[in-house]
Amino acid sequence: MSLPWVEKYRPKSLKDLVNQEEAKKKLLSWLESWSRGKPIKKAVLLYGPPGCGKTAIVHAIANDFNLEVVEVNASDFRTATALERTIARTIRERSLFGKRGKLALLDEVDGLSPLQDAGAIEAIVKIVEKSRIPTIMTANDPWDPRFRDLRNISLLIEMKKLNRRDIVTVLKRICLKEGIKVDTEVLRIIARRSRGDLRAAINDLQAIGEGRRVIRVEDLDILMPRASQLNMFEIVRTVLTAKTPEQAKSVLTLPSLDYQMLFHWISENLPYQYSESMEALAAAYDALSRADVYFGRIKRTQNWSLLSYALELMTAGVAVVPGKPRFRFVKYSFPQRLKLLSKMKETKKIRDSVLSIIAKKCHVSRAVANTEILPYIKIIYSENPEQGRKILKWLGISEDRFRSLS
Amino acid sequence: MSEALWVEKYRPKVLREMVNQEEIVSRLEQFVKAKAIPHLLFAGPPGTGKTTAALALARELYGEHWRENVLELNASDERGIQTIRLRVKDYARTMALGDVPYKLIILDEADNMTSDAQQALRRIMELYSRTARFCLIANYVSKIIEPIQSRCAVFRFQPLEREDVIERLKFIAEKEGVKVTESGLEAIWEISKGDLRRAINTLQAASALGTVDAKTVYRVVGRVTPEEIREMLLLALKGRFIEARECLRELLITYGLSGIDVIKMIHSEIMNPKIKLEIPDEARVELADIAGEINFRMVEGADEEIQLSAFLAKVALLGRKYRIG
Repeated sequence: MSLPWVEKYRPKSLKDLVNQEEAKKKLLSWLESWSRGKPIKKAVLLYGPPGCGKTAIVHAIANDFNLEVVEVNASDFRTATALERTIARTIRERSLFGKRGKLALLDEVDGLSPLQDAGAIEAIVKIVEKSRIPTIMTANDPWDPRFRDLRNISLLIEMKKLNRRDIVTVLKRICLKEGIKVDTEVLRIIARRSRGDLRAAINDLQAIGEGRRVIRVEDLDILMPRASQLNMFEIVRTVLTAKTPEQAKSVLTLPSLDYQMLFHWISENLPYQYSESMEALAAAYDALSRADVYFGRIKRTQNWSLLSYALELMTAGVAVVPGKPRFRFVKYSFPQRLKLLSKMKETKKIRDSVLSIIAKKCHVSRAVANTEILPYIKIIYSENPEQGRKILKWLGISEDRFRSLS
Repeated sequence: MSEALWVEKYRPKVLREMVNQEEIVSRLEQFVKAKAIPHLLFAGPPGTGKTTAALALARELYGEHWRENVLELNASDERGIQTIRLRVKDYARTMALGDVPYKLIILDEADNMTSDAQQALRRIMELYSRTARFCLIANYVSKIIEPIQSRCAVFRFQPLEREDVIERLKFIAEKEGVKVTESGLEAIWEISKGDLRRAINTLQAASALGTVDAKTVYRVVGRVTPEEIREMLLLALKGRFIEARECLRELLITYGLSGIDVIKMIHSEIMNPKIKLEIPDEARVELADIAGEINFRMVEGADEEIQLSAFLAKVALLGRKYRIG
């Protein structure tokens, strides 16, 4: 697979970026205020819907000013300290490219989870106040109450949802460079489907046009379903926004659909799409829960004839529920839990080894050791470290290993 | 210097030191005297002395050779019946040391075996009955298949009485030179009821905080259950589902809890009159019902996070009904 077109055609300069004139002007004057040594505000909070060019504008302007972008994806960090460490380090590090100036980009700050990243917002505020380089943050929704402190220290710059004409312009430019002959009508359809999300539109265009010389309207019809097949986001959207059981079930006919993966994706994104109606959310989750019971029975009895019930529940059962909120565009995400699980493998290994020792010494299972014994040892260790160390010694667990348990 | 956890340090080594369970103790002592024991099934709630009785029985039966003659397995940790079969076979193949003609196999948490595995276990019990005796330990007799029950002498361990628990705690506190108040003992009884293991662990943890009184005891209790449990419930009740789910993931991944652990903790949180969730009593009852249904589905199903997410969504709906948050 060649380079994704969204990367390949990312604007190199502000003048390549479609529309967003207002945002460009504001961003320019802010950055210029830095070079005069007296910034208006130390940070910018750039906000707007997905695919309107937030990340692109930052890279473009950095290019124009010959600045190096140090990028931190905020949603990758789960604690304030981890975030602080990483940002502080990246900002401090000497540029690989000699004496170029720097620009810090904290992408997707609304990806910070309010609970686990408790303190993350304060950490960012602190970092920005100390920082000597311009910092830009991006978010879809800046009006979330927990961003109040961020808003106070930042210049807010809005980016508008792109209109269809803008998107068609960009798509046309790409087709020209790729040497693809295409009717404007095709591009209009792709643009309409993208609902103002340029990134989605470019991805669709690449899925259809890669390796072709000509795209006709008919090609689009045939290729659309295959294009979305590659894209779990589209499949999930089809299910969650379906109006009839048939629409929701249609995804099941896609060849090579990984239904277990789809199950995780639906479960991850359901609350975002249904957040406006608790009734719908509870009913849809109930359908997922019953689907899971079927999966459990299949696993135990190998009775695969039950599969169709499970699949119907997780698609039609989720889509057709009372009180379902009206369609609105929400950004879906990869199942966080799969991400977390792979991250936590090492932690789990340490935990299991500690639990095995306790289990053996105290004649219990690891599960009982985890709930009935370990919590008490933790309390003793934190309240009376001397006594805690003695117990660890008795168990034969090193202090370091014990402390690495979260 | 090392120091044992008190639950181990004060675990009775011989049957007559056991706290209560007098009838069981006297029958087990008779078995020891005759050097003839049947297959045994010890059933009863946690912390009532089942494992202690099995280990004490082993010590008295084999004397100094007890370690060579006893195999201790935990059904929850041994993956599948095959492992058990192999280990039992290897173990039973060699002759017992000393004057008892068979070895003792203690199989703890036997009720966590699937019924298939139990069927296989029943065969193993028959195959090795000449060279091995089994002592099965379980919380619920009903989760042990009948053919196994009928091959065993079943002993039901009762939850310990208040006086027994408090007396034991006082005994330990005195030996350890720990200051305890009446209110502290009462609080430990309140939260542990007849579960002596929990009572002793609470005593030891509270003593690390200072004098064991009601305050230190409840501080320990508050920290044993991760605060995320309560936080998750409150968030869900307020309709903040996504944040509640973040809490859930923290519990499952960072704390390494199983889905069943989580739903049990939720249940005791809901039903604990000491912990005010600030919801009407009828909502508490409804919540417990939802928890029960999800517990059931979790046993039947395949994916704990999905089941618990479904629980949280129902809680959020309930929160709306009672206008919480």
